[in-house]
Amino acid sequence: MIRFDFDAQPTAALFDKTGAVFALGDGAVRFEGGEFSIAHDGAVLCAAVHPSGDGVVTGGDDGRVIWHRRGEAGLLATAKGAWIDAIDASADSGLIAFSAGKTLSVIDAKDAAFRRDFQHERTVSGVAFEPKGRRIATSTYGGAALWFARIAEQKPTLLKWAGSHTGVAFSPDGAFVVTSMQDNQLHGWRIKDQKNLRMGGYPSKVKAISFLSGGQLMATSGAQGAVLWPFVGSNGPMGREATEIGFDEGSLVSVVASRPKHGLLAAGLNDGRVWLADPAGQGLNFLKAEKGAAITVLAMSEDAKRVAWADEDGHAGVFDL
Amino acid sequence: MTDTASGKTPVTVLTGYLGAGKTTLLNRILTEDHGKRYAVIVNEFGEIGIDNDLVVGADEDVFEMNNGCVCCTVRGDLIRVVNGLMKRQRPGKPAFDAIIVETTGLADPGPVAQTFFVDDEVKAKTVLDSVTALVDAKHVMARLDDSKEAREQVAFADQIILNKTDLVTEDELVAVETRLRGLNPLAPITRAQRADVPLDQILGVHGFDLERITEVRPDFVNPPHGADGHVHDDHCGHDHHDHDHGHDHAHDHEHHHHGARGHAHEDDIKGIALSLDRPMDGQKFTHWLDKLLGEQGQNILRAKGIIDVQGEDRRLVFQAVHMILEGDLQKPWGDKERRWSRAVFIGRDLDEAALKAGFEACAA
Repeated sequence: MIRFDFDAQPTAALFDKTGAVFALGDGAVRFEGGEFSIAHDGAVLCAAVHPSGDGVVTGGDDGRVIWHRRGEAGLLATAKGAWIDAIDASADSGLIAFSAGKTLSVIDAKDAAFRRDFQHERTVSGVAFEPKGRRIATSTYGGAALWFARIAEQKPTLLKWAGSHTGVAFSPDGAFVVTSMQDNQLHGWRIKDQKNLRMGGYPSKVKAISFLSGGQLMATSGAQGAVLWPFVGSNGPMGREATEIGFDEGSLVSVVASRPKHGLLAAGLNDGRVWLADPAGQGLNFLKAEKGAAITVLAMSEDAKRVAWADEDGHAGVFDL
Repeated sequence: MTDTASGKTPVTVLTGYLGAGKTTLLNRILTEDHGKRYAVIVNEFGEIGIDNDLVVGADEDVFEMNNGCVCCTVRGDLIRVVNGLMKRQRPGKPAFDAIIVETTGLADPGPVAQTFFVDDEVKAKTVLDSVTALVDAKHVMARLDDSKEAREQVAFADQIILNKTDLVTEDELVAVETRLRGLNPLAPITRAQRADVPLDQILGVHGFDLERITEVRPDFVNPPHGADGHVHDDHCGHDHHDHDHGHDHAHDHEHHHHGARGHAHEDDIKGIALSLDRPMDGQKFTHWLDKLLGEQGQNILRAKGIIDVQGEDRRLVFQAVHMILEGDLQKPWGDKERRWSRAVFIGRDLDEAALKAGFEACAA
């Protein structure tokens, strides 16, 4: 395992096509090879892999969206005076979507002149592209909204559900949108008929949602073990029970990471441990058994052969599985 | 200013209606050479100087938690902004000495305060230090007459800065202070001109810290001794003095003619002080308090108390914001200390007689 010690709080971990990348609370982006870019004046609040697979795009509390590559960084967009709270990017459509306050903005990685701004009634908390990158889901107070990424004038499809939604994800088949909520639960909608899915029972807020096993499982953090919801058939988890793996009464799973095409799941715990499991098999493989500060970010490489983690105190590492 | 013991960043909520002097105070916080680093969360970006500090806009996103508690409203924008600010925190090194949250004159301080007790992440990283109300000596009487929010902001506060005292006479000041005390007997009032209160007096109040609830003085509910409106009762300690008048003795000043305003007119919100010189039954008391907050929590803005529990050497200390209650056993009573229970409830339309009866029925 490669280890790092950062003098700042990690705010995101990602794998681009070359390797692991960490975004930090001091505005820096650090690549595992040692290259770094300190382009933000403030904290990096959110990050996503650039649509090209080369480097990452980050949003900061300085209101800037920046593309960091090894050895260079460039400003892609700004939101004057507002924090960039959420960002996502799509390799399929080449688009980058980010939110600042009540506005969702879409830019094109290959066309600097393209920009769309979509307004919401409440502050946007999360942004996610559907797998093909043509639609974008946002989460806000009161539900989620679906936008077509390129159309300038449109009314969004509103997926309403009372409460404060704090993050959003798309299922890999594009059929479901799932949000995490302030009051320790998830909410989902089947897009074709807007049928509601309620997924509750969590002892804490769900901070991470990740799909695996061909999209048939959705893993989440927020409980004493990693929670797995079945997404099989057209009903998804409707009427189905979740399972929990790696249950440990003394700790909470704070983050999970997986890849839709692979069956492995990584989990980071609030006591500093990191484990890897194959939900179809048995047992947990502790990648990091020593306890420490809470694991706050976790990522799995696209080929599911590497896992990057970082804790609240700036300790980080990359495992080769 | 960082609370080093807990490692949490203290948060001061600054309330006050337009013109009370909040901007002047914020400007001072941001421009004075104090060597501290503050983050200020404002409602709109105004003309505020930014030096080493950070000013962040918020949008008063009040919402109700889906947890069955009707009054459990929080500010979603604060959860987002505070969590964002905490990302600047370096390991072991807080990013800010304090966070100051400015609210508009129309804001309800309840959801702002509740945010710091309800959200786990915010609670883990920050600690609410005080709700500080700024009022303008010249206009506060009119505001209190016509604005429910103004009365609530005063009633909710841990401390009140009575600003612009140079614009009124001493008599007017006394009348204002009497009314403020009626609305909020717990909060000390500091007189100021051009918001010239030392910053260390505004920040670092520990208003919600159970360990610091050592002074809950029911006599505060009464206007100060000798002041207009003061009513003698068991708590003013007259029996220790030479003059030995009965408690029910009506003083001359109670017959004064009062102006159109002042305590002659009762506010809908007031502080009610309760005390008991006998030990209490701990279980009876907590049961009574839970029930009271459960039933009337929406109307109870703040409560604080120190209780002498029978068979317990330590004092039971509690504080509540609406239905959110925190209580703990704190330091032991001193050998020579007077052991007595006292509590203050500040709220709207509270039934004083019923509260008193309920409180006293908890006697062991």
